[in-house]
Amino acid sequence: MSSLLELRENLRNFYSRNEVYLLPLLKFLLALGTLMVLNLNLGYMTKINSPVIVLVVALMCSFLPMNLLVVIAALFVILHSYAISMECAIVAGGIFLLMFLLYYRFSPKDTLIVLLLPICFGMKIPYVVPVAVGLLCGPASVVSVTCGVVAYYVIRYIKVNAAMIMALDADSTISKFRYVLDGIIKDKAMMVVIISFCVTTIIVYIIRRLSVDHAWTIAMFTGAIANVVILLVGNLMYETNISVLSLVLGTIVALAVAKIVEFFAFNVDYTRTEYVQFEDDEYYYYVKAIPKNTVAKSQHTVKKITSVL
Amino acid sequence: MLSQERIKLMTKMAAYETNEGKTYMSIGSYFRSDYMGMQVLRSIISATLGFLIVCGFYVYYHLETLMQDIYKMDLWAFGKQVLLYYVVFVVAYALITYIVYSFRYSRAKRSLKRYYRHLKQLAAIYDIEKNSR
Repeated sequence: MSSLLELRENLRNFYSRNEVYLLPLLKFLLALGTLMVLNLNLGYMTKINSPVIVLVVALMCSFLPMNLLVVIAALFVILHSYAISMECAIVAGGIFLLMFLLYYRFSPKDTLIVLLLPICFGMKIPYVVPVAVGLLCGPASVVSVTCGVVAYYVIRYIKVNAAMIMALDADSTISKFRYVLDGIIKDKAMMVVIISFCVTTIIVYIIRRLSVDHAWTIAMFTGAIANVVILLVGNLMYETNISVLSLVLGTIVALAVAKIVEFFAFNVDYTRTEYVQFEDDEYYYYVKAIPKNTVAKSQHTVKKITSVL
Repeated sequence: MLSQERIKLMTKMAAYETNEGKTYMSIGSYFRSDYMGMQVLRSIISATLGFLIVCGFYVYYHLETLMQDIYKMDLWAFGKQVLLYYVVFVVAYALITYIVYSFRYSRAKRSLKRYYRHLKQLAAIYDIEKNSR
């Protein structure tokens, strides 16, 4: 345990020493990953499909605010949709614009959630996000979680139905528009996942703020179980075709990641909990103080022993 | 001579000013009513734009039916219904905004209160140092 704590301290020190270089690098990698995933999944517009364009845009993103990365990613999706059909681009653009209006009002700093959710869906571990968000963010972050889920399902719908949309009669623009819009907004699987993720986030948030021992661990397990139950009930009610095996495996991975998050964000020693009680002119205070697990950085001193003969 | 306590306090305050304090200070510079009014107004604009997008989608989706029935429809009743939906949507959106931002305003004020307490402590340390010279 102490070596792990030491590793954590070293990582923290390394990050704080090199933050100036690490932050743009991480932003660059995130932008590169996001745009590459988009191009791999959609990739209908050849002009923006080239690795050079992706590299240049990702480099630009490393020096731009994080929120612009979301806008650029949305533009990539709209451009790829435009290559399939104009109607598809209109629907995708309208939905993204609606989400931006909602997202920028309530949680404009949760860019990472919106970007990571589609990537985690691609890696079959989306259940990590609501648990981690519940542990680290506030209840308003459900807006970002919802936006991330909608973004993923829009991308998935376009990817799966691209051939069908292209095959539809080019003259009947309205029926094409209806087909795309119906496919996206009437997707019951998306609705079930949105409800499940929002409920999980709120449950995890409420429980981890409770003044009970091991609140974070209880929160993550309860949230994960609630997530599984809601998704299974949704599957039974609306036949959303959720694979039970991937749900269970994804939940186990989510719990493992949540434990790592807990280790870095909330590592306390419950055995040394102290309860103190005092008062001032206005209040009585019942304080529960839990010490953090910390370790002093080991000092390696090199002792030089020289002998003069 | 350097005072360790003063330096600790100053470092803590500088970190606060560059991170969370930046947002909280901009919130704290408003009166509650002004801040809430501004946020609700922004939300009304956002909700109006959102409603227009949804209306655009609705019109394009039902374009054929609307074009066929445009002369048979009671446009006044249709307009009133759309207006009712708009008002309900905007009021609900503004209400949620009010709740969320009033919570954020009180959190910012609480945080700034702590910051001002630190400022007072710093001033007191300076006074002690000045007197001891």
